[in-house]
Parts: sequence; structure tokens; C-alpha cells
Amino acid sequence: MDSNYGYGGSSGGGFMPGETNSPAGGKGDYNNATLRPITVKQALDSSQPYPEAAHQIDGADVASVCFVGQVRNISSQSTNVTYKIDDGTGEIEAKQWIDSSTADTMDMDDGKGNAAPGKDQVELNGYAKVFGKIKTFNNKRFVGAHSVRPLTDINELHYHLMEAVAVHLFFTRGPPGSAGGAGNAGGGAVGGADSTMGGTDDYGANRSLPAMSATARRVYNLLKTEPQSNEGLHAQLIAAKIGVPMPDVARAGDELLTAGVIFSTVDEQTWAILDY
Amino acid sequence: MAQQTPRVLPAHLHAFHPSVANGARATNTVRLLGTVTSLRGDTATITCGNNGDVALILRPDSHLQMGKLVEVLGKVTDVEGQGIGVRVLASFDWGDPASCDYKIYEQLVDVTHKYKSVFYETD
Repeated sequence: MDSNYGYGGSSGGGFMPGETNSPAGGKGDYNNATLRPITVKQALDSSQPYPEAAHQIDGADVASVCFVGQVRNISSQSTNVTYKIDDGTGEIEAKQWIDSSTADTMDMDDGKGNAAPGKDQVELNGYAKVFGKIKTFNNKRFVGAHSVRPLTDINELHYHLMEAVAVHLFFTRGPPGSAGGAGNAGGGAVGGADSTMGGTDDYGANRSLPAMSATARRVYNLLKTEPQSNEGLHAQLIAAKIGVPMPDVARAGDELLTAGVIFSTVDEQTWAILDY
Repeated sequence: MAQQTPRVLPAHLHAFHPSVANGARATNTVRLLGTVTSLRGDTATITCGNNGDVALILRPDSHLQMGKLVEVLGKVTDVEGQGIGVRVLASFDWGDPASCDYKIYEQLVDVTHKYKSVFYETD
């Protein structure tokens, strides 16, 4: 939905009604069990297509996120602990609810939450790694944290920031391995690192596709590998096979149609590979 | 918007100098990573891998230790007799420099500038 990224623009109109009519606003959350490494800036910039929807970064829904930063403030309340996290790209609050039955690392008798260091304890101005979900309150982004733990190895910090870029590139330029073919600048430095990321099996086969979203690539690969008549496959069937919601498949189909690598056969929703 | 503090190497400091009025830099506060190689009262020097040294102007409450790897957050400024340096606002001690692969940091700095939209405002 982000106009910065070329995809989906053409299908934006068709996408919204589909989503809003669907009874399951939060359904994606359960189907999407991914944990995405991000920077604080990405969390602050994340968009929300409509209230209660999943937040989106680079046009992709995010379920859980993780990020790393320095703890600028710790404020302990009776029901939660709020950390202000700064990673150099921005500042965001991470709110961790205290489960009174299982409170261990954040015992109330720790007082202000900055109890004896050395324990598995987050320190003020120390680095921490946070896992959680992006939330919005009063138009302000914060993170509902599942876990906040101290980070002591600087390499982990650097690795995290690089991984955030790698994932960003995955969503904006497609999976690694695709960059070479269509002359799409894959981005030298990270390009090399990307190929070691694995996960190319699902999509890596076709090096000739132009830059497009990950879903589009999966649809294309399914069309390429799935036994089918010369009528191709119906979008519903594709959605079921790769486990992606219909609106996303429709969007991916639009992308592929626009790129001229597939064509519609018996109806608008049945596609086959355009072989030449 | 909270202030952003780009991670840099010594070679990039000049771009964040306050005298560079190109408007592209909303900030002249940066982050540096280096090993403390000299301490003289209220000034110090850190060595940033193979990327050279940077002179620091310390705060009374900066507690740097010789030989430790530190992450420094500070304003780019001129240091008397040593050219461009950094006035320290905050520092964080990462301990033994041997536990950090400085090459990763160099790559990271490169990546943060190449894919700026992930990290910093681009205007």
C-alpha cells in the first residue's frame, strides 16, 4: 500500500474492499507467524491500512518484530514496564505487561527495574533486544513486548541491523538470486550476504523474472511447476496451494500480468505461464 | 521525531561538520565505534579499526578506559590542533575490542548509507 514501492499500486483499488469485507480483521495475525527484524525507524514509519489492521512495512504485513537499541528510560508500573528504546534511527516505547503469575525477571521487588546488574536484567543505557508486536495508540506507534532482554555482544547488534536491511530488500526487490537476471541492481554489498540466507528453494528457480514481490514469485513458480492443463490454474487454487490470502494472490497476479510473464486464459482469474 | 544518530567512520565526519551547510544533514550528532588509545584529561583518542583515529572532547562524567571498545555518541566539531573531532555526549563501553569484528561494523556503516531509508530520514 505504500506508494514508495511500485507494486500493488495498480491493484490497490481491488485490494481494499476484499480486505475490509473479510470478517477476519486480525486473522492475518494467526496465519502470519513471522518475526521480522526491523529498525526503530521502520516501526515508526509503519503504515496501517485501516484501524485494527496489521501494520505494514515495505507493503508487507508484519506480525511480530524484533529490534535492538539502547534503553533510554525504564518506567515500572504495577501492570507493566515501559522501556524507551533508541537505536540511532529513532526512539520508540516498548511496553511489557507483567504477568503476575509468572513474573520472574521483572519481579516487583526489583523496584525501579534496574536491580542488580549481572542478572538477566536490562540496564539503563545498556543495549536490549526486544521482541513484540507493533501497536498504535493515539496515532503513536509503540511495541507490545513479549520479551526484553539485555544484549551484550556488539556483533549481534551489527548483525541485527544488517538483517533488517536484508529483509527490507527481500520485500522491496524480491528474494535473493533474482537480482542478476533482469539487470535489477541487487545492491552489491548485501547481495553477497543475501545468497547465504538460504530460503531460495521456494523461489530461486527463475532468474529471469523482473523485480517483483515475494508473493508474485511464489505464484509464478507454482504456475511453472504445478501439473496443469493448458488453461492454467485458477487464482483460488493458487491461493490454497501456497497458503496466501486471495487478495494477495490477486495482487501478485496483477504484477505478473503487468510484467507480461503470465496471461489469463478462460477467465480473468485463471492464469498460465506465458512461454516463448 | 527523536533525534537520529547515524553510525559513521572517521572518513565520514567531515560530512557532518556544522560548517557543511548543505541542509541534507539534519543532525551533526553521530555514532562512532573505536578503541580508546589515549586519555589526556578531558580529551581522548579512539582508533577506529584501520580507519584512523578520532579526537574526542570528553564530558566530566565520561568514564573511558584505555584499551576498551567504546561506542561514542557526540557532536562533530573542531578539536584544537587535531582538526575534526567529536564532542562526546554519551559513551557506551563494549568491553574487549577483540570480541568485536570491526569489519562487520564497516559493512554496516556502508549498508546504512546505501539503504538509507531503513535507517535515517532521507530529506
